[in-house]
Amino acid sequence: MPDIKKQLPLVTASNQTFWDAVKRHELAAFKCQDCGALYVAEVDCVACGSQQGEWVKLSGRGEVFTFCIYHQPFHPAWQDAIPYNVAYVKLAEGLVLMTNIVGCDNKDIHIGMPVEVVFEDVTAEVTLPKFKPVEK
Amino acid sequence: MTIKDKYAFVGVGLTKLGKVPDFTPEELASQAIKLALADAGMKPSEVDGCIYQQGMGGGLSDAGPLLQAGIHASMIWQVASLGSYANVMVAMAISAMESGLCHTVVLTHASSAASRRGGGMMPMMGNSTPGAYGWYGPGATAACIAQRYMHNYGLKREQLGSIALTLREYANKRPDAIMHDRKITMDDYLSARMIVEPLCLYDFCLVNDGAVALIITSAERARSYKKKPVYVMGSGIDHSLRVAGNSSEAIHHFDGFIADRAKEQAFKTAGITLKDIDVAEIYDAFTIFLLSQLESYGICKKGEAGAFVADGNLKLNGSFPSNTSGTGLSWGYLMGFTQLTEGIRQMRGEGGACQVKDAEICLVTGLGGMVDNGSAATCTILRR
Repeated sequence: MPDIKKQLPLVTASNQTFWDAVKRHELAAFKCQDCGALYVAEVDCVACGSQQGEWVKLSGRGEVFTFCIYHQPFHPAWQDAIPYNVAYVKLAEGLVLMTNIVGCDNKDIHIGMPVEVVFEDVTAEVTLPKFKPVEK
Repeated sequence: MTIKDKYAFVGVGLTKLGKVPDFTPEELASQAIKLALADAGMKPSEVDGCIYQQGMGGGLSDAGPLLQAGIHASMIWQVASLGSYANVMVAMAISAMESGLCHTVVLTHASSAASRRGGGMMPMMGNSTPGAYGWYGPGATAACIAQRYMHNYGLKREQLGSIALTLREYANKRPDAIMHDRKITMDDYLSARMIVEPLCLYDFCLVNDGAVALIITSAERARSYKKKPVYVMGSGIDHSLRVAGNSSEAIHHFDGFIADRAKEQAFKTAGITLKDIDVAEIYDAFTIFLLSQLESYGICKKGEAGAFVADGNLKLNGSFPSNTSGTGLSWGYLMGFTQLTEGIRQMRGEGGACQVKDAEICLVTGLGGMVDNGSAATCTILRR
């Protein structure tokens, strides 16, 4: 039976810039030039309808908005990771990212916990932004 | 022009729920359709429209179940596999009949989720950004909503547990409920294994096989069938989350589902207010979904639903009897059809030991989609 691997992010033409930046260990977002809303892909702004935007660099700092802990694997590749967390981090600039919290016990994760980005090179080609706790 | 009371349900067909491995979803759907025809006292040739919804594993073809039941429909539509869609299918059926496409529609849904695992809401193969973080299944959305609610309003696990217990008590009184014979206590709830923390086994709906078929037709035609018609007073659909991923707007639903427009549409059409609701069937894929919607529909003020459920208000003798079959958590999960079916039964007076006395008007709700790919709140108001 082949080794079942964790899935890799879906990179498309519209979010290539985000994943290229992550590969360089930088966090970037596509910013609406009219209202400032942030996205991780080049999209027309759903907040104001603007079609003008540009990629900007983000601080990589934020706080845990919400999270959960998986005690049951829903995918075979995550069997050995149980229990693991999935979190939404709200960055200082306002963008919310799905991620994992690393560098602390699951029981210490809490809403409002200050975090900063770390970059995990999961394969030679692919890097994932994750977040670790920091002092406020 | 209003659709109020112009259309009515006349037939209900339900197969066995639970583990039914000997039948495919297609065969289950066909059984349910035949049962609904018999329930109404209707000939197959009198049905000319069908709207169907796949279960998670798929398996339904367009005309297959209909042909097995002897129906040659002119209109067959398929909808997405989300908990919001039973109510959407009611609105679609009414739209189709209003426009003259057909005059009698069977709505059906079949699932083999217990016997034929597979499918699901997230892609398990290929590339997936949520998958890269281990995010699978709507349970994580529910858990993240519960986490926010605990943080914002001090929701206690015992309060979610009271929903699980209330619904289980209903199911214990309903012979066709999957959990009819299995009682649970608060100790059972609090010591149950976590699935996606902070939600445990009893916060999740059942995973079962089974099929349902409901027949709806015009009020004039409805009067010629066997059962007392159950009229549709109003219908509401609210895709309030307009975002297709990636915007910070998507976080709104972690702090409660938005159902403003669905509620307004349905209640305005029906010409009633919340006070007129005698019984409610609220979509309960998870305990927290039910709890959150009590606030979305204004049954409770923001932050007060935890105390409301713990005080027993959802019970048969409570101020707002709800989910009277035990619904998705304890009766059987047929997406939004679990609620719609029980709503129709309550309006017919077929609730058995869980019948809300003299109930005349019922609110049925649905929810669909997940935080990152848009979601919808839907509802139907029924009357006897």
